Amino acid sequence: MQDLTKVVDLITKSNWLLLVVLAMVAVMTTSMSFYLGVLAGGLIVAVNFHLLKRTIKNSIRPEVVSEKGRSLVGHVMVKYYIRFAVSSILIFLLISNHIVHPLGLLAGLSVVVASVFIVTLLVVTRLYFKEAV
Amino acid sequence: MEFLVGSVWAAGLAIGIAAFGCGIGQGLGLNGAMSGISRNPEAAGKIQVNMLIGLALIESLCIYALVVSLILMYAHPALEAATAALGAH
Repeated sequence: MQDLTKVVDLITKSNWLLLVVLAMVAVMTTSMSFYLGVLAGGLIVAVNFHLLKRTIKNSIRPEVVSEKGRSLVGHVMVKYYIRFAVSSILIFLLISNHIVHPLGLLAGLSVVVASVFIVTLLVVTRLYFKEAV
Repeated sequence: MEFLVGSVWAAGLAIGIAAFGCGIGQGLGLNGAMSGISRNPEAAGKIQVNMLIGLALIESLCIYALVVSLILMYAHPALEAATAALGAH
Protein backbone atom coordinates (compact mmCIF):
# COMPACT_ATOMS: atom_id res chain seq x y z
CA MET A 1 0.00 0.00 0.00
CA GLN A 2 2.81 2.39 0.97
CA ASP A 3 4.65 1.52 -2.25
CA LEU A 4 1.57 2.17 -4.35
CA THR A 5 0.98 5.57 -2.74
CA LYS A 6 4.60 6.37 -3.46
CA VAL A 7 4.03 5.44 -7.11
CA VAL A 8 1.21 7.99 -7.40
CA ASP A 9 3.33 10.65 -5.71
CA LEU A 10 6.17 9.80 -8.07
CA ILE A 11 3.84 10.14 -11.08
CA THR A 12 2.60 13.52 -9.80
CA LYS A 13 6.15 14.78 -9.33
CA SER A 14 7.35 13.40 -12.66
CA ASN A 15 4.39 15.13 -14.39
CA TRP A 16 5.67 18.53 -13.30
CA LEU A 17 9.29 17.62 -13.91
CA LEU A 18 8.56 16.35 -17.41
CA LEU A 19 6.48 19.45 -18.14
CA VAL A 20 9.33 21.74 -17.08
CA VAL A 21 11.89 19.76 -19.11
CA LEU A 22 9.66 19.66 -22.21
CA ALA A 23 8.87 23.37 -21.92
CA MET A 24 12.56 24.21 -21.60
CA VAL A 25 13.46 22.09 -24.61
CA ALA A 26 10.60 23.63 -26.59
CA VAL A 27 11.50 27.21 -25.70
CA MET A 28 15.12 26.63 -26.75
CA THR A 29 14.57 24.67 -29.95
CA THR A 30 11.13 25.49 -31.37
CA SER A 31 8.83 28.40 -32.10
CA MET A 32 6.86 30.39 -29.54
CA SER A 33 3.52 28.84 -30.51
CA PHE A 34 4.96 25.32 -30.12
CA TYR A 35 6.32 26.25 -26.69
CA LEU A 36 2.95 27.70 -25.67
CA GLY A 37 1.27 24.50 -26.89
CA VAL A 38 3.54 22.33 -24.76
CA LEU A 39 3.04 24.55 -21.74
CA ALA A 40 -0.75 24.82 -22.08
CA GLY A 41 -1.23 21.11 -22.84
CA GLY A 42 1.02 20.04 -19.98
CA LEU A 43 -0.72 22.35 -17.53
CA ILE A 44 -4.17 21.12 -18.58
CA VAL A 45 -3.36 17.43 -18.10
CA ALA A 46 -1.32 17.93 -14.94
CA VAL A 47 -4.16 19.87 -13.28
CA ASN A 48 -6.64 17.26 -14.60
CA PHE A 49 -4.59 14.47 -13.04
CA HIS A 50 -4.42 16.36 -9.74
CA LEU A 51 -8.21 16.85 -9.70
CA LEU A 52 -8.82 13.20 -10.64
CA LYS A 53 -6.58 12.12 -7.77
CA ARG A 54 -8.50 14.31 -5.33
CA THR A 55 -11.88 13.07 -6.58
CA ILE A 56 -10.86 9.44 -6.23
CA LYS A 57 -9.25 9.91 -2.82
CA ASN A 58 -12.34 11.69 -1.48
CA SER A 59 -14.98 9.51 -3.11
CA ILE A 60 -13.65 5.97 -3.27
CA ARG A 61 -13.24 5.12 0.40
CA PRO A 62 -14.52 1.87 1.94
CA GLU A 63 -16.90 3.63 4.37
CA VAL A 64 -18.36 5.83 1.59
CA VAL A 65 -18.59 2.95 -0.89
CA SER A 66 -20.50 0.75 1.54
CA GLU A 67 -22.91 3.63 2.26
CA LYS A 68 -23.55 5.01 -1.20
CA GLY A 69 -22.52 2.09 -3.41
CA ARG A 70 -23.16 2.47 -7.11
CA SER A 71 -24.26 6.14 -6.96
CA LEU A 72 -20.57 6.97 -6.51
CA VAL A 73 -19.90 5.79 -10.07
CA GLY A 74 -22.24 8.52 -11.31
CA HIS A 75 -20.65 11.06 -8.97
CA VAL A 76 -17.15 10.37 -10.29
CA MET A 77 -18.40 10.30 -13.90
CA VAL A 78 -20.19 13.66 -13.52
CA LYS A 79 -16.97 15.20 -12.20
CA TYR A 80 -15.10 13.60 -15.12
CA TYR A 81 -17.47 15.17 -17.65
CA ILE A 82 -17.20 18.59 -15.96
CA ARG A 83 -13.39 18.35 -16.10
CA PHE A 84 -13.54 17.18 -19.69
CA ALA A 85 -15.88 20.04 -20.69
CA VAL A 86 -13.60 22.65 -19.13
CA SER A 87 -10.53 21.11 -20.82
CA SER A 88 -12.44 20.97 -24.12
CA ILE A 89 -13.33 24.65 -23.98
CA LEU A 90 -9.73 25.60 -23.17
CA ILE A 91 -8.31 23.42 -25.98
CA PHE A 92 -10.96 24.72 -28.39
CA LEU A 93 -10.02 28.31 -27.64
CA LEU A 94 -6.31 27.57 -27.97
CA ILE A 95 -6.65 25.78 -31.32
CA SER A 96 -9.41 27.84 -32.96
CA ASN A 97 -7.64 31.12 -32.24
CA HIS A 98 -4.33 29.63 -33.48
CA ILE A 99 -2.65 30.58 -30.20
CA VAL A 100 -0.73 27.30 -30.01
CA HIS A 101 0.80 24.84 -32.44
CA PRO A 102 -1.37 21.67 -32.50
CA LEU A 103 1.63 19.33 -32.37
CA GLY A 104 3.04 21.22 -29.40
CA LEU A 105 -0.32 20.89 -27.70
CA LEU A 106 -0.32 17.13 -28.38
CA ALA A 107 3.19 16.88 -26.93
CA GLY A 108 2.08 18.78 -23.84
CA LEU A 109 -1.03 16.64 -23.45
CA SER A 110 1.17 13.53 -23.48
CA VAL A 111 2.95 14.55 -20.28
CA VAL A 112 0.83 12.39 -17.96
CA VAL A 113 0.92 9.36 -20.25
CA ALA A 114 4.68 9.69 -20.65
CA SER A 115 5.27 10.03 -16.92
CA VAL A 116 3.06 6.99 -16.20
CA PHE A 117 5.16 4.98 -18.66
CA ILE A 118 8.42 6.29 -17.20
CA VAL A 119 7.38 5.51 -13.62
CA THR A 120 6.14 2.06 -14.66
CA LEU A 121 9.47 1.36 -16.34
CA LEU A 122 11.32 2.56 -13.24
CA VAL A 123 9.24 0.36 -10.92
CA VAL A 124 9.56 -2.70 -13.17
CA THR A 125 13.31 -2.18 -13.56
CA ARG A 126 13.73 -1.82 -9.79
CA LEU A 127 11.67 -4.96 -9.21
CA TYR A 128 13.64 -6.88 -11.83
CA PHE A 129 17.03 -5.91 -10.39
CA LYS A 130 15.89 -6.55 -6.83
CA GLU A 131 14.85 -10.09 -7.81
CA ALA A 132 18.08 -10.63 -9.76
CA VAL A 133 20.17 -9.76 -6.67
CA MET B 1 -16.16 21.83 -50.44
CA GLU B 2 -16.46 18.06 -50.05
CA PHE B 3 -13.09 18.13 -48.35
CA LEU B 4 -14.34 20.51 -45.66
CA VAL B 5 -17.59 18.59 -45.19
CA GLY B 6 -15.57 15.38 -44.88
CA SER B 7 -13.30 17.00 -42.29
CA VAL B 8 -16.23 18.13 -40.16
CA TRP B 9 -17.85 14.69 -40.41
CA ALA B 10 -14.58 13.03 -39.42
CA ALA B 11 -14.13 15.41 -36.49
CA GLY B 12 -17.61 14.78 -35.18
CA LEU B 13 -17.31 11.03 -35.53
CA ALA B 14 -13.83 11.02 -33.95
CA ILE B 15 -14.83 12.78 -30.74
CA GLY B 16 -18.21 11.03 -30.58
CA ILE B 17 -16.80 7.53 -30.83
CA ALA B 18 -13.89 8.36 -28.52
CA ALA B 19 -16.10 9.86 -25.81
CA PHE B 20 -18.51 6.92 -26.09
CA GLY B 21 -15.70 4.38 -25.71
CA CYS B 22 -13.92 6.25 -22.95
CA GLY B 23 -17.16 6.74 -21.02
CA ILE B 24 -17.94 3.03 -21.20
CA GLY B 25 -14.37 2.14 -20.24
CA GLN B 26 -14.33 4.47 -17.26
CA GLY B 27 -17.74 3.30 -16.12
CA LEU B 28 -16.68 -0.34 -16.28
CA GLY B 29 -13.46 0.41 -14.43
CA LEU B 30 -15.27 2.30 -11.68
CA ASN B 31 -17.91 -0.41 -11.43
CA GLY B 32 -15.23 -3.05 -10.96
CA ALA B 33 -13.44 -0.91 -8.39
CA MET B 34 -16.64 -0.37 -6.40
CA SER B 35 -17.38 -4.09 -6.39
CA GLY B 36 -13.82 -4.85 -5.32
CA ILE B 37 -13.88 -2.33 -2.46
CA SER B 38 -17.31 -3.50 -1.28
CA ARG B 39 -16.14 -7.11 -1.15
CA ASN B 40 -12.71 -6.37 0.28
CA PRO B 41 -12.53 -2.92 1.95
CA GLU B 42 -8.93 -3.54 3.05
CA ALA B 43 -7.82 -3.49 -0.58
CA ALA B 44 -9.29 0.00 -1.12
CA GLY B 45 -5.89 1.70 -1.24
CA LYS B 46 -4.45 -0.62 -3.87
CA ILE B 47 -7.62 -0.41 -5.96
CA GLN B 48 -7.63 3.40 -5.72
CA VAL B 49 -4.07 3.72 -7.02
CA ASN B 50 -4.52 1.33 -9.92
CA MET B 51 -7.84 2.90 -10.83
CA LEU B 52 -6.34 6.39 -10.73
CA ILE B 53 -3.64 5.43 -13.22
CA GLY B 54 -6.14 3.60 -15.45
CA LEU B 55 -8.61 6.47 -15.46
CA ALA B 56 -5.86 9.00 -16.24
CA LEU B 57 -4.78 6.96 -19.25
CA ILE B 58 -8.36 6.55 -20.51
CA GLU B 59 -9.03 10.26 -20.04
CA SER B 60 -5.96 11.21 -22.02
CA LEU B 61 -7.19 9.07 -24.93
CA CYS B 62 -10.38 11.09 -25.06
CA ILE B 63 -8.43 14.35 -24.92
CA TYR B 64 -6.25 13.17 -27.82
CA ALA B 65 -9.38 12.47 -29.86
CA LEU B 66 -10.69 15.92 -28.98
CA VAL B 67 -7.47 17.57 -30.14
CA VAL B 68 -7.46 15.57 -33.39
CA SER B 69 -11.06 16.56 -34.10
CA LEU B 70 -10.34 20.22 -33.35
CA ILE B 71 -7.29 20.08 -35.60
CA LEU B 72 -9.48 18.63 -38.37
CA MET B 73 -11.87 21.56 -38.04
CA TYR B 74 -9.68 24.54 -37.23
CA ALA B 75 -6.06 23.76 -38.08
CA HIS B 76 -6.21 21.16 -40.83
CA PRO B 77 -2.69 20.70 -42.23
CA ALA B 78 -3.98 20.26 -45.79
CA LEU B 79 -6.49 23.12 -45.65
CA GLU B 80 -4.30 25.60 -47.53
CA ALA B 81 -3.55 23.11 -50.28
CA ALA B 82 -7.25 22.27 -50.58
CA THR B 83 -8.22 25.95 -50.67
CA ALA B 84 -5.59 26.59 -53.33
CA ALA B 85 -6.89 23.66 -55.36
CA LEU B 86 -10.44 25.01 -55.06
CA GLY B 87 -9.24 28.42 -56.18
CA ALA B 88 -7.50 26.91 -59.21
CA HIS B 89 -10.74 25.35 -60.46
